[in-house]
Amino acid sequence: MLLDIRNLTKRFGGLTAVSNVSFGIERGEIIGIFGPNGSGKTTTLSLIAGILVPTDGSIVWKGKDISAVPPFEVAQHGLVKTFQNPQLFPELTVAQHMRIACHLHIKRALGFGRVWSLFGGMPAELNGTLTRKIDQMLELCRLADKRNEEAGALSYGGEKMLGVAMGMVCEPELLLLDEPASGLGHDEIMNLDAVLRDLRTHGVTLCIIDHKVGFLGRLADRSIALHHGAVIATGKTADVLANEAVIEAYLGKKHA
Amino acid sequence: MSQLIIGQMLNGVIVGSLYGIIALGVTLTFGLTGIVNFALGAFMMLGAYTTWYFYDVLGLPYALAVLGAVCAVSVVGYVSDRALFQFTRGNLVNGLLVSIGMISVFEALVLAAFTTTPKDLTYVLPGALNIAGIILPKIKIVVCVVFLAVIFGTYLALTRTWLGRAAFSYAQNPEAAALMGVHTGRLQTIVVVYSTALAGLGGGLYASMYSIEPTIGSGYILKAVEAAILAGVGSVIGALGGGIILGISENIGSVFLPSAFRDAYGLVFLIAILLVRPGGLFGDRP
Amino acid sequence: MRYAIAIGLLAALLAPLIAHSDSVLAIAIYAFMAASLAVSFNLIFGFTGQLSMFHAASFGVSAYIVTILVTTFGWNFWLAIAPALAVVLILSLIVGTICFRFKLKEFYFAVVTMAFSEVLRLIILNWNGMTNGSLGITVVDRPSLWTPIGNVAISGGVAWYYLTLALLVVVYVVCHGVLSSWIGRCLAAIRLNDQLGETLGIDVFKYKLLSFAIGSVLAGLVGAFYGFYSGFVEPHYLSIPLGLDIIAMVLLGGVGSLIGPVIGAFVLTALPHVIELSAELRIALYGSILVFVILVMPKGIVGLIGSKRNAA
Repeated sequence: MLLDIRNLTKRFGGLTAVSNVSFGIERGEIIGIFGPNGSGKTTTLSLIAGILVPTDGSIVWKGKDISAVPPFEVAQHGLVKTFQNPQLFPELTVAQHMRIACHLHIKRALGFGRVWSLFGGMPAELNGTLTRKIDQMLELCRLADKRNEEAGALSYGGEKMLGVAMGMVCEPELLLLDEPASGLGHDEIMNLDAVLRDLRTHGVTLCIIDHKVGFLGRLADRSIALHHGAVIATGKTADVLANEAVIEAYLGKKHA
Repeated sequence: MSQLIIGQMLNGVIVGSLYGIIALGVTLTFGLTGIVNFALGAFMMLGAYTTWYFYDVLGLPYALAVLGAVCAVSVVGYVSDRALFQFTRGNLVNGLLVSIGMISVFEALVLAAFTTTPKDLTYVLPGALNIAGIILPKIKIVVCVVFLAVIFGTYLALTRTWLGRAAFSYAQNPEAAALMGVHTGRLQTIVVVYSTALAGLGGGLYASMYSIEPTIGSGYILKAVEAAILAGVGSVIGALGGGIILGISENIGSVFLPSAFRDAYGLVFLIAILLVRPGGLFGDRP
Repeated sequence: MRYAIAIGLLAALLAPLIAHSDSVLAIAIYAFMAASLAVSFNLIFGFTGQLSMFHAASFGVSAYIVTILVTTFGWNFWLAIAPALAVVLILSLIVGTICFRFKLKEFYFAVVTMAFSEVLRLIILNWNGMTNGSLGITVVDRPSLWTPIGNVAISGGVAWYYLTLALLVVVYVVCHGVLSSWIGRCLAAIRLNDQLGETLGIDVFKYKLLSFAIGSVLAGLVGAFYGFYSGFVEPHYLSIPLGLDIIAMVLLGGVGSLIGPVIGAFVLTALPHVIELSAELRIALYGSILVFVILVMPKGIVGLIGSKRNAA
């Protein structure tokens, strides 16, 4: 098992945002986490990414507990999160964004040799690798023609794509996507669908949260439904979507 | 020894009430405009010099001189709000830089006009009270009483009048206040100007007790910000409390520790509080 | 831009051949040192997004240490620089660790660093036995430089001109090297969005601390020379107004650029000499420029030139 989450609980003061959530993620899957607004999806994702520290429970990544590890180290372990609103750097170009995101690649390639690169510059070979890698990821995320545009000039969908591309350049084993489809038009969602399927063929495991059932229904192999911070259903996506408790959570109690 | 301690405590209360009145301005301005106005120190210094000018140079009665100084400072405050501060609303860093820039402008102008030579007001109210061996100058008692009265008056005004409640509700929830028909821009200006008037009053009364120099403002504004943070920004009585705590701790501290470092105690306080309560007592961060 | 800088440097190298006037040289020397301070400050403020009010403290502490080691203990000037920089490094690591561990940002970082530098100023002001309190210390020695023909005392305008020019070049090259490397990209990510940076695997704490320490040590390096050139050190070196002068230079020149602070430093250093101003009015002018730039031209002179070029 790639990621194993047991009894994950997060309380903010008196409010329990995530309560006793357990699930696992296998390599190569696409996992969907869905639930209505305020059901604890984003909190769960932030807990996994290390942005928040759980009140209780454990997050085990490839056999190692990472529940108290800071976010940058979580990313170094191969677990990368994208943001719902990418909050990019408006005055930098797409390619410059990708260069920033190459940080981990450079760190892995050079280690302490990075210190020497301060004096002699980056090895040409590594620069070539990075350029190729950036091009490949931009191609994959359908951003190749926007390479030199400023991020501020991108559409909202383009920004979210760039967020995904930046995450991918960190070479994650598991990519955590925070509502990648929210705020996108129909065409953009279709595009996103295709990109995410391509990512899977590149060997990345995906964990996607969304409150739009349709989008996840097409994409996710397995799903977890959250409501008021607790798991109410888990299993094959189609089964979860057909689950009565899930339908009730989405539509509210029937007034009968 | 106990007389010394009690005497220092009373002195602490008096100095603390001065910190408190400027801290009140800091608190009000922060609540309504989202910036910490360091320039209030400069307004205090202006108030002190204007009072000195009206009283010693023009020969007005002291009370009238202070009143005149408060009015003059308020006018300067109004002009700087319209010309400068209104463009920094909600931006802490720009507000900080603009207000510190203004301190240096005001200090330099006063320095150019009146030189560094300290100015002393002719005795406003000579004499001292001797209570059980503790000697307190009368003027300090009067000043302290005026400060307390103004602070409690402000508290009553904020809780009892329409304008005060509008300001209060705005500080709690700007959007809701706007929906309720509060003219936010005007409200902010009123509060900024009132805060400068408080600083002017602080300076005017300060001048009756101590000698004044162009640099008094920058020293006192740090103290006031410390006091405001100490007790929690947003509370009127808290500003007074913070000021008095700071005043007493400095005065008692300098009995036991080198008095040269009395200014450092507050700074250490400030650092500690900002660290222990992450995001400070401003409370805009979790 | 690169050609402009190269031409500027060449002009600076040749300038003393034409301008013999001591007063012109003195302005240039002060401008070089101010520019070095501004460039190093901009590493922390403009490129990492941390408004440090500690820069003047780093500068002043180093100036004091070098001066005391030389005048009181008879050290060699060049030797005294090392412990001065070491102390600045340690101080900046302590202050930086405290601030960044507690995740103080923007305003809070500014206020806490300001408080730390005030505490240092008070210590220097009150440590009479060592620092001579508010009177400061007068420096009579001149550093000497070893050359094949023997030790040559560095005195006179021309020697100091080249020495401080070299200082500026060193500071500029170090900052340029840092910013054009992977470190620069990490700093950019932190300035723009540190949460995003963190999820991309950047250790935000470490890089903030790195930038703060490098900038502070460079300020310390400037301080070491400054005391010797001006001939005295005083507690005012650590004061908030000096910090503001540096900020004004950076803002005026252009926050987002490496060369901007150099331009800003030259304008603000030369201006009071071009138009006759008393010391008080000079401070008032600096303050007004600070306020004006923040409100009216947030990108500084470099930004103005850039937008002109884009418009053309």
